[in-house]
Amino acid sequence: MIEEPYRWVEAVANRREYIETQLAPGSAIAAVSCAEGILLAAVGRTRQKLFEIYDRIAMGAIGHPGDIERLRMAAIELASTEGFTRSAADVSLRRLAYYSLSPVLKGAFEQVYGAPYLARLLFAEVGNTAEEDLFLRVEYDGAIATNGGVLGTARQAFGALSGTHASTELMETFLQREHDRRSTLPRAVDVAVNAWTIGSLALGEAGIRELPDKAAIADHRRKQLAGNVIEAVLLERDAKLSVRYRSLTDEELQPVTSS
Amino acid sequence: MAAADDFAAVLRRKGLIAPVPALGSNASTTAIVAAQTHATTVLAFKFKGGVLVAGDRRATAGNTVVYDRADKVLEIDRHSIMAIAGVPATAWEMARVLEHSFQFFRRTQLQEMSVDGKVRALSKLLRDNFGFVMQGIGIVVPIFATYDATSDPAARLYFYDAMGAQFEVTDYAATGSGSPVVRGILYYENHWGKKPLLQLDEHEAVTVALRALDTAAESDTATGGVDRDAKIFPVIKIVSAAGITTLADRQIAALFKRSVAS
Repeated sequence: MIEEPYRWVEAVANRREYIETQLAPGSAIAAVSCAEGILLAAVGRTRQKLFEIYDRIAMGAIGHPGDIERLRMAAIELASTEGFTRSAADVSLRRLAYYSLSPVLKGAFEQVYGAPYLARLLFAEVGNTAEEDLFLRVEYDGAIATNGGVLGTARQAFGALSGTHASTELMETFLQREHDRRSTLPRAVDVAVNAWTIGSLALGEAGIRELPDKAAIADHRRKQLAGNVIEAVLLERDAKLSVRYRSLTDEELQPVTSS
Repeated sequence: MAAADDFAAVLRRKGLIAPVPALGSNASTTAIVAAQTHATTVLAFKFKGGVLVAGDRRATAGNTVVYDRADKVLEIDRHSIMAIAGVPATAWEMARVLEHSFQFFRRTQLQEMSVDGKVRALSKLLRDNFGFVMQGIGIVVPIFATYDATSDPAARLYFYDAMGAQFEVTDYAATGSGSPVVRGILYYENHWGKKPLLQLDEHEAVTVALRALDTAAESDTATGGVDRDAKIFPVIKIVSAAGITTLADRQIAALFKRSVAS
């Protein structure tokens, strides 16, 4: 029985394999810093994948809708009560993820008699400058990956999330090479949709493991956009606004959808 | 679970705002209620460009003026204003709860709260507060002005009583100790003035508002007029389809000099 330590390790390993299998088809989400703020983009047809959490925080999620909903509600409730009792300036993504969400996810994951959360989350928090933008990927077991910025290292200007680790890593490789945080919004939308395309190509057993050439990206992207829609939101950098979250308009997406 | 909670319920569950006190625990408090002041003047009326909401800046405690730059015309969201008369601590807290409630609803439910829902949310806060009013503390009598951008675009204006009843008005509303005078002026302007309030342009509307507040301050000690030495002017905001505009002090100063102070 799993009272024995090695059985517990085995049970957790099984559970990890089960969750990874469940999440593997999850379609990618790309987030990039740009001059206007942070752009989050996904391509799909069915359900909403990008959500507003608080004034400067947005979330993208893949996984089971019920679990995503529970985590989304928890995040909004925590941020809102903090913002109400103190101030909006005291709501921080770092604290939200490390002190509140991560322990809950780890707890659920390791309680092998209970159900784990079948979800992966990507959070973005817009800063006053692009150098201060924060991206956090929170895994179903409570593990957190950031875009750096600790101990004096430079932060990356992007965050990526996909169904498999291989897909996520290839998206990051692509964004590392192609994206510049000084881009303006139209360029950021283009790069984000390309990153999504890389993520999509890398999914599955037969998925690519090396970055494809430009023509292959453009080809796959065109095919995907034909049957799907782009979901894109911007966390605006404009400090005059208190609520920074807004959806991109059709006009703003037009250059990408018509390409 | 959480999906059904409104934000005030979340705050109560977490003990972050006062619980709803029981009503009728002390029947002899009615005399105190009558004596409670809501010393201020705020007014709102519809005009050609939307709804104008104006309030004086004086805050009083009994006979003492404690603050001369109080803001009683509070922005709740991009299209809603709550103008307050009553106990500032309770009123500002209500405005904060309301502001967070609307955003909490939008974020959790993934749609904007309807105008009726917003109007009702304030009503519920007042209702929940009525136990405190009966204990002689914390009376709030607000005005709520908003722009309904959805099905039937229109500016909408409501006033409330301390128990939370809401009344939608077609033309104007005023609350606070100076409001009887202001209601008289607005009624007069609307019926026998040069033109009805609804047909005023922005200049004319601001002039009417400034004159009304000046008249209220003339007889009501709790209403601050215009402090010309310190350059303290009333707060005037306009709600329209485009959102909320706050009039700059120098704009008000110029109009005041031209149309009121002469």
